Amino acid sequence: MAVETIKFPGQPGVDPDLEMGHSLMAQQRREQFIQTVKIGVVWVGLIIFLIFALLQFNFSPAYVFKHFGFVLQGLPITIGVSLASIAFATILALLGAVARLSHNSIAQGISGFYVSIIRGTPLLIQIYIVYNGLPQIGMALIDKGIPQGHFFILTAIQSGILALSLNYGAYMTEIFRAGIQSISGGQREAAESIGMNSIQILSRIILPQAVRVIIPDIANQFIAMQKDSALVSFMGIWEMTYRANRFARQDSKFMEMFVIAAILYWLLTIVSSWAEGLLEKRMRHAYER
Amino acid sequence: MSDNAIIRVDNLHKWFGLLHVLKGVSFSVVPKEVLVIIGRSGSGKSTLLRCLNFLEEPSSGTIDIAGQSLTITAGTRYDHNKAIAMRLNTGMVFQDFNLFPHMTALDNVIEGLVTVKKMPKDKAIPMGMKYLQKVGLEEKSFEHPIRLSGGQKQRVAIARALAMEPKVMLFDEPTSALDPELIGEVLDVMKQLALEGTTMIIVTHEMGFACDVADRILFVDRGIIAESGTPDQIFSHAQDERTRLFLEPIRKVQQI
Repeated sequence: MAVETIKFPGQPGVDPDLEMGHSLMAQQRREQFIQTVKIGVVWVGLIIFLIFALLQFNFSPAYVFKHFGFVLQGLPITIGVSLASIAFATILALLGAVARLSHNSIAQGISGFYVSIIRGTPLLIQIYIVYNGLPQIGMALIDKGIPQGHFFILTAIQSGILALSLNYGAYMTEIFRAGIQSISGGQREAAESIGMNSIQILSRIILPQAVRVIIPDIANQFIAMQKDSALVSFMGIWEMTYRANRFARQDSKFMEMFVIAAILYWLLTIVSSWAEGLLEKRMRHAYER
Repeated sequence: MSDNAIIRVDNLHKWFGLLHVLKGVSFSVVPKEVLVIIGRSGSGKSTLLRCLNFLEEPSSGTIDIAGQSLTITAGTRYDHNKAIAMRLNTGMVFQDFNLFPHMTALDNVIEGLVTVKKMPKDKAIPMGMKYLQKVGLEEKSFEHPIRLSGGQKQRVAIARALAMEPKVMLFDEPTSALDPELIGEVLDVMKQLALEGTTMIIVTHEMGFACDVADRILFVDRGIIAESGTPDQIFSHAQDERTRLFLEPIRKVQQI
């Protein structure tokens, strides 16, 4: 549809209405930009203040620069463990949510039990059980002449990923359930009326819409997981927290080493939020007028 | 009741909890017939329509559609797979469109062909375009529903139902969610379908349209068919007191 414009005689191509709109929008953009700059200045000020404060109390910048690289080397492991865990957790959560919403009493029972037991216990205890507890069962099985017992004896990284996946899978089950339930019943009815079965309805109609709704929640979980992955350091995985801890204890430079780790976790979460923003923008396409 | 009926409903009952919504409804529809169901809100007319494609599970009764028959006895389990198979004989158009918002208009129309009928996409697309053309929206094929007006959405929904080539089209108050200026385009499409000999069952409050297009009208009141007849019989010579009471105020407004 063509935009109707009023043109005054003697002023070809100039539309005062449109001009006014443009100048109002420019004004709005300017004000927004100034606001952003002001907020940025506050952030820089706070960072300078923190650095200044630290330097007053026997904080060694040279030590930070010297060991920054050492902690940084743990970043790929932190990212790897988080990515693998969020992937498995998403699968668990999807299965959990579908089971919870199904009419099958066994599936509902298993799903409800899983969510309840995981949400009712601390993550640290779950890590202990997987890493230290399961091998006990594995050894007992091997003693009984069942060689498959060695499946229960996991490496530190496997244990970390398993514990984080199980833990986040339970929380994300609830997110998926809410997301699926947020899609109106009319969508299901329309799909049923053209003869689709429940698996087709879930995969082609409900999930594509639900995923868009829950992406911010999943991203939040992913960011939380990057930080919770620090908990696996006690198993001797050389990720960032473990590396920071090592020199911190050896040289009693706790503030220096943990500031390095904190900065790296912080940057990682900032990048993740930014990536999530891009993803959300891409998925908005179908919903923009 | 004629013998060549394409739909035959016998003694259909529906309870919602303790609420007895349909109290033994029986009727039949012959091929190419346009049946319009009218009645007050809450009279059970939408429930009746939704029972015909099992979006609502009937509590008891017999439903025959295009040679397939399903008898449901109250309090017993019935064959859900058969009900789902029978669903393909009917195409449903909803009051609030229920288009799939994450798909384009064309993808909405061919979704059933591709997913349910397993038709290859290169065959489904021309077919989808054919039905979009039928409702006058071929130039909107790549738009998502959010960019369509209410009337356009409902026309896409009609095309989506038609694409499955059902034996009977069911319309559940297809214009009730539309702005007044958009109702005409949807009714025009439905009139065209009626002229082409599509078998249709329509629940509507558009009495003028009902009068125009219906071969037969059912007046449903409190879960039973209070009266049925041609538009002339119902609108001008209603026998039943309830029908007259229902139509009187409407006739004053719509001047039928």
